[in-house]
Amino acid sequence: MYKAVVIGGSAGSFQVITKILSSLPKNFPLPVLLCLHRLKHVRSGFVEALSIKSTIPILEPYDKETIKPGKGYLAPSNYHMYVELNKRIALSTEEPVNHSRPSIDLTFETAAQAYRDKLVGIILSGANRDGAYGLKKLKQSGGLAIVQDPNECQVKTMTEASLKQTTVDHIFTTEQIISFLLKLK
Amino acid sequence: MILSDQEVQFFVNTIKNSSGYDFSEYSEKSLKRRLQKILIDNNTDLINLINKLKSSKAFLEKTVKDITVNTTELFRDPQTWQTLKYRILPKFSENKSINIWHAGCSTGQEVYSMMILLNELGLLDKAKIFASDLNTDALEAAKKGNYKYRFNIGYLDNFDKVIKENPFNYEEYNDVPYSKYFKIDKVSDSIQINDFLRQKPIFRQHDLVKGGNLYFAKFDLILCRNVIIYFKYSLQNKVFKLFHDHLYTNGYLVLGMHETMLGEITSKFDKKGQAYRKK
Repeated sequence: MYKAVVIGGSAGSFQVITKILSSLPKNFPLPVLLCLHRLKHVRSGFVEALSIKSTIPILEPYDKETIKPGKGYLAPSNYHMYVELNKRIALSTEEPVNHSRPSIDLTFETAAQAYRDKLVGIILSGANRDGAYGLKKLKQSGGLAIVQDPNECQVKTMTEASLKQTTVDHIFTTEQIISFLLKLK
Repeated sequence: MILSDQEVQFFVNTIKNSSGYDFSEYSEKSLKRRLQKILIDNNTDLINLINKLKSSKAFLEKTVKDITVNTTELFRDPQTWQTLKYRILPKFSENKSINIWHAGCSTGQEVYSMMILLNELGLLDKAKIFASDLNTDALEAAKKGNYKYRFNIGYLDNFDKVIKENPFNYEEYNDVPYSKYFKIDKVSDSIQINDFLRQKPIFRQHDLVKGGNLYFAKFDLILCRNVIIYFKYSLQNKVFKLFHDHLYTNGYLVLGMHETMLGEITSKFDKKGQAYRKK
């Protein structure tokens, strides 16, 4: 019933996201949109680092690329990543939002407009408030909102900011996130 | 503030009817975000904005400038510059002249990066540099060639990577001083491009939507990076056609790191990375 998964993460999310990506079945039926902050000097090599463990292919998409099931789309360094209504990726070099480019809020908000109630959104560990507004928009559009359990997060600022703004559907540990995703058809 | 698609359409139509600018084939998401930002920055709503656009030509011109995105850096994406340095520009070394068009040059950093590289390759004298943008404020800044030092400090690394180092030979190191090309003044927070570079390019306002070739020239190389991401697929293809028409055979079009050509037009180019060679 769901058509896409969108995941946002920042400081302390790398190991979590690697664990999630390595646990998905090779034929995972949905596209996974990833908006992850990275350190300024780690501009390249990130997609390779994620790909090593991931069971599904991870790519930094081109502008206007069509989103396909079973693939991971990582917001490229220094670009905002939007989802257009026709389920294509759109990139932008507009100014950072809350000091972030890519901005998790923007990826979540535009994905919510495109997929509405067919979207699962997950906010992971992070040291800022990016994603809180985006998750709220996702929830308002009928999507399913999940936040990583702050007690498990290396840095809990981002998940706590999200929980403050939105009554989420689930607060999950990494293991629970994985078993939830494995049930998606 | 949430704008509906109809409201964005209303705005686009107003601009179109009151001026020569047409944003109807701009990418929806970023156009909507730009409009939202304009409303917030002007502390107004759409109805008032529309009225002001209709009554003041100056305000309309300013709004058009605010819609355009002007992100640029010196030697942005060093891999692209290394491709230009080792693979593309040497192909033109026997040419009598090299015509280069920076389409969407913004505040000029790409133009000056190109001239610095050409000068290091001994090709600057035979190069003709054309640079255009929709935004006349950006063009004025480009002509001045004065940038904030603190904001650009990180990009000096890019200069080192492209100009001083050779990725294929780590022992090679060209210790080119920055002062050869620009003056750094940390106190006044400025990087000033040297006059011999500033005087060379021909800067002109040009709207890619309208097409046409304002220089009446053909080009060996066209750079258009992080411009077409703001265009819908239909407009992208019109722009690719425009570039194709004005490139010499074996001339190159270079796009931004995450831009790609799609559709029928691809058969008219050989693609390698971000560089497209006209067949």
